[in-house]
Amino acid sequence: MLKTILAGLRARTARLVLSSIAIALGVAFVTGTLVLGDAVEAQTRDNFARSARNVDAAVHLADNSDNTVMRDGIPADVLQKVRSTQGVAGADSREYASAALLGSDGKARNAAVQPLPSTEKLRDFNLKEGKFPAKADEAAIDVKTAQIAKLKVGDKLKLLDKDNVEHSFSIVGTYQQGASSMSMSGSDHVVVSPEGLRTIVPDQRIYEIVAVAAPGVSQQQLVDNIGKAIGSGYKVQTGEQLTQETLAQVGDAAGEIKTFLLAFAAISLIVAGMVIYNTFTILVAQRTRELALLRCVGAERGQVFRSVLAEALFMGLVASVLGILGGLGVSAGLQALVGTVGGPSGDDVQIRLPISWVTIAAGFGVGVLVTVLSAVLPARRATKVAPVAALRSQPDSHDDVARTGKVRIIVASLIALIGAAGVYFGLQQEKEEPAMFITGGAVMVLLLAVLLVGPLYVPLVNRLFGKALRGVPAKLASANAGRNPKRTAATTAALMIGVTIVAMVTVVAGSGRETMNQQVDKRFPADYEVSSNVWNQPLTQKFADELSKVRNVSQIAPELSAYGESDKLKYGDVTGYPADAIGSLVRPELAGGTLTGLKDNEIILREKEAKEAGLSIGSSLKISDKEFKVVALIKDNSYGAGIVTLPAAQSILKDNAPKGYQKLLVKLAPGTDIAVARADLERVIATSPVAVLNSAAETKAELNSQIDQVLLFIWALVGLALIIALFGIANTLTLSVLERTRESALLRALGLTRGQLRQMLVVESILMALIGAVVGVLLGAGFGWLLVQAISNAEFQISFAIPFGQIGVMLGLAVIAAVIAAALPARRAARNSVVAGMAEA
Amino acid sequence: MSALVSEVGTRTAAAAHNLVKVYGKGDTAVRALDGINVAFEAGRFTAIMGPSGSGKSTLMHCLAGLDTVDGGSIHIGQTEITKLNDKDLTKLRRDRVGFVFQAFNLLPTLTAQQNILLGLELAGRKPDQQWFDTIVNVLGLRDRLHHRPTELSGGQQQRVACARALVARPEVIFADEPTGNLDSRSGAEVLDFLRMSVRKLGQTVIMVTHDPVAASYADRVVLLADGRLAGEIHQPTTESVVNALTHLGA
Ligand SMILES: Nc1ncnc2c1ncn2[C@@H]1O[C@H](COP(=O)(O)OP(=O)(O)O)[C@@H](O)[C@H]1O
Ligand SMILES: [Mg+2]
Repeated sequence: MLKTILAGLRARTARLVLSSIAIALGVAFVTGTLVLGDAVEAQTRDNFARSARNVDAAVHLADNSDNTVMRDGIPADVLQKVRSTQGVAGADSREYASAALLGSDGKARNAAVQPLPSTEKLRDFNLKEGKFPAKADEAAIDVKTAQIAKLKVGDKLKLLDKDNVEHSFSIVGTYQQGASSMSMSGSDHVVVSPEGLRTIVPDQRIYEIVAVAAPGVSQQQLVDNIGKAIGSGYKVQTGEQLTQETLAQVGDAAGEIKTFLLAFAAISLIVAGMVIYNTFTILVAQRTRELALLRCVGAERGQVFRSVLAEALFMGLVASVLGILGGLGVSAGLQALVGTVGGPSGDDVQIRLPISWVTIAAGFGVGVLVTVLSAVLPARRATKVAPVAALRSQPDSHDDVARTGKVRIIVASLIALIGAAGVYFGLQQEKEEPAMFITGGAVMVLLLAVLLVGPLYVPLVNRLFGKALRGVPAKLASANAGRNPKRTAATTAALMIGVTIVAMVTVVAGSGRETMNQQVDKRFPADYEVSSNVWNQPLTQKFADELSKVRNVSQIAPELSAYGESDKLKYGDVTGYPADAIGSLVRPELAGGTLTGLKDNEIILREKEAKEAGLSIGSSLKISDKEFKVVALIKDNSYGAGIVTLPAAQSILKDNAPKGYQKLLVKLAPGTDIAVARADLERVIATSPVAVLNSAAETKAELNSQIDQVLLFIWALVGLALIIALFGIANTLTLSVLERTRESALLRALGLTRGQLRQMLVVESILMALIGAVVGVLLGAGFGWLLVQAISNAEFQISFAIPFGQIGVMLGLAVIAAVIAAALPARRAARNSVVAGMAEA
Repeated sequence: MSALVSEVGTRTAAAAHNLVKVYGKGDTAVRALDGINVAFEAGRFTAIMGPSGSGKSTLMHCLAGLDTVDGGSIHIGQTEITKLNDKDLTKLRRDRVGFVFQAFNLLPTLTAQQNILLGLELAGRKPDQQWFDTIVNVLGLRDRLHHRPTELSGGQQQRVACARALVARPEVIFADEPTGNLDSRSGAEVLDFLRMSVRKLGQTVIMVTHDPVAASYADRVVLLADGRLAGEIHQPTTESVVNALTHLGA
């Protein structure tokens, strides 16, 4: 029997190679995703280990410290105590201050300034170029910051303090910092000497003291010594504990990414499984006759069955090995991609390929198990028929194209019911996250039901498309796509899953974007908005005055956010505007009362806050001991609890009021040329180091580009699943071509040209791709709508919108991919000689 | 040679001149056709006979433009088809030649009617409704037109194939063992029809067969042996064919 199996393998090389590629791709995808998850985790761990490297003891404020202690940080004398503790070889404080950094374009950006630890071993960054700062006027700069701000070693580094005073440093080096709470925040950062730091921020706020032990002193001994030396109120940890604690946090963060990737691996698994299953079904169906012949010459049913399984096992094993190797490649590729896009530590990405036993097991499990299972069903079917009947059977004859069973319909209906119930439950959820997850899971169950009844509607859709086709080759193609509904349904299913998910995500993201656009329009009746790009560097009154003098500017409204304790409101955060701007430049959606003519002792309150506090128009409340009367209620949530006048906001802030404004709203005279006005405004803007000109259009563009980036990532991942799915189409087509050699020859004999034969296959491929893609788009749009409904609540309204452009691109890509998928099978079919084809059994 | 001479004056539907076809190379090369000279008159029913492996199918495939040749020339009507490229050959088959094969004549996805009209559709020609009706009625396919091949008996399938070959009124119909898979009654029906189409409709039919009974329906039998012409019989009967075959040593 072994000889027969080997001979069989050799004889059907082409078909086997194809199915092996299908298996290998699936395995590659699953292992690639797992390896990627492990790599991301390892990468993050390694990065975090850096901030705790060489640390033998770490001092933090006790977790139960009160607020004022928390605000002031660890007192400076504690550092001295730690340094003089027995067994400490060196200790340094960790602190950072915010300052505005002037880029070479003259624009300020928020930057974190850290002091250079005096103990060399405690520096948690790697020098890249030059040296670390030694003098008070020297600085080293993070490599990423250097790149963004266009600064290099030898340049001057200009930092602005809280009062906009400029401090100049010479850049003497660049460094790379491991991921830490600081570098993860995405802000730029620089390192100066401890004395240099004091010139910018006089007050020190130490959040951590780290120490290295002298030789022979254990971490625990060191911790005990330090604990005794500094007294209570502090948490002293060993370096090991610090590492473990940070790693636990990182583990969680990396775990989230891994969950996402695993969910994705599951989808890829299903897609790959379907392609493999379909390939095997066709393979065995084609061999029915051969298997029957084997039985006629005396092979037992069990022998034939085992031979099919053994073959599947062999293929599964070989393809799994290839797939796992391919998966490592996929993972390396994706890491390189993330590296260029820039992750949490984009400049420091190293390609890692950790191979765990889980990954190997999953790879082989998928490759071998799915393959063998995929072979069992068709093999059982093949061996069940009487040998003589099987010998007579033609491809796609009655017994081959079984009608969609009643059982299938019943099962699908039940699953659909469960899914519908899930969706209903999801829609009832108040909170956004559970609503999203429950509804998301439920629509996947619905998708399963839809896939199950594929053989029912796929022929209908095919006939619908077929009606639009002209010409004999195209009509023949439609007939071919419709001849075996089960096969066509299974082939298109993989693609359908991929497209459904992409379309769903696209619709949800598109709706989110549409909503944001509307909000931007509503929120910005002003033509332009000038804001400070450094949060603690407000725009000055002088600057506002300059701006109001620019030609065509009809009105300027400064904005000031204020927060104070309130007797009635949970959060006393309000936004202040000049009274004459409220109702014109500031136009919230009104729920009652009037906006105009707001006095300094009056407040426009958000409806929800008012309800919660039991307030209505006419009631009064206190913020920062100042009495306000409620004169109007609004629906918008973009002003905090409410709107007050500018003087009122200043009085709420009392001594903490900044010397200026966070934002200036600019209104142009009617009919002003926007381009001219922008040029005029920019001349004034250029005089301020921190001011940035914004506009509604630009805000929209900014928001959209963020959503688009997320979408791009999802498209890239799902794109891989689509490639597998399209490979499935190519596979089915190739096997069909082999199966229909005789028919193709007949058609050629009757006068179908080579070109027409190729055209026929290309059209069939496009038809299958379109069935998958169109049904996928419809499902995705529907599911997207359900998700949007689920996520939306009274608080957060998303209006449903279909991004037709992107979906059009997707359909276009499906057609192009279908043409590519058909290329090889079509070539093969056209190359066959007519006579040879007719002779084929 | 005598065959060629005797045809002078009558119209020739298809002819082969010094036709050579070799399969394989070197030691294993087989000369399937070894210098064949033969002509087929228009409006007649000719059978090609010979022992198995004598080159009957190969000859038919070459004559019909389904296969390339290694020497000599072939004419369909006035056209030398050995000079045509694949595209022109395909057009020639589509427009001027009809086929009936031993089996797998029909596309399983199309109904009987669609199968009958397939050739015309490929050529972009409108079917002549009256002609279509005549053929369908004569062949008794009227109530089978909307069935698919799997719902037809073997004999019905072959009759559909005959109808397809005839409906386009080709210059020549080639049939390769059209009755090979049929029981004797269904076979007789198909052969009757082919003979009728020649006698009454003036069609030209060239049929390959190894069955002396089938050959007896033809006007003339051309005998092949080892890739060469081995004689011919005019107005054959089953007995004369069996006789000739015995002499060939089959
Ligand atoms: N594709 C082929 N490759 C090699 N030899 C072939 C091929 N087709 C036919 N032959 C050989 O050519 C000769 C003629 O075959 P064929 O025309 O099929 O004979 P017939 O139809 O009279 O039985 C035989 O010896 C056969 O083995
Ligand atoms: Mg033959």
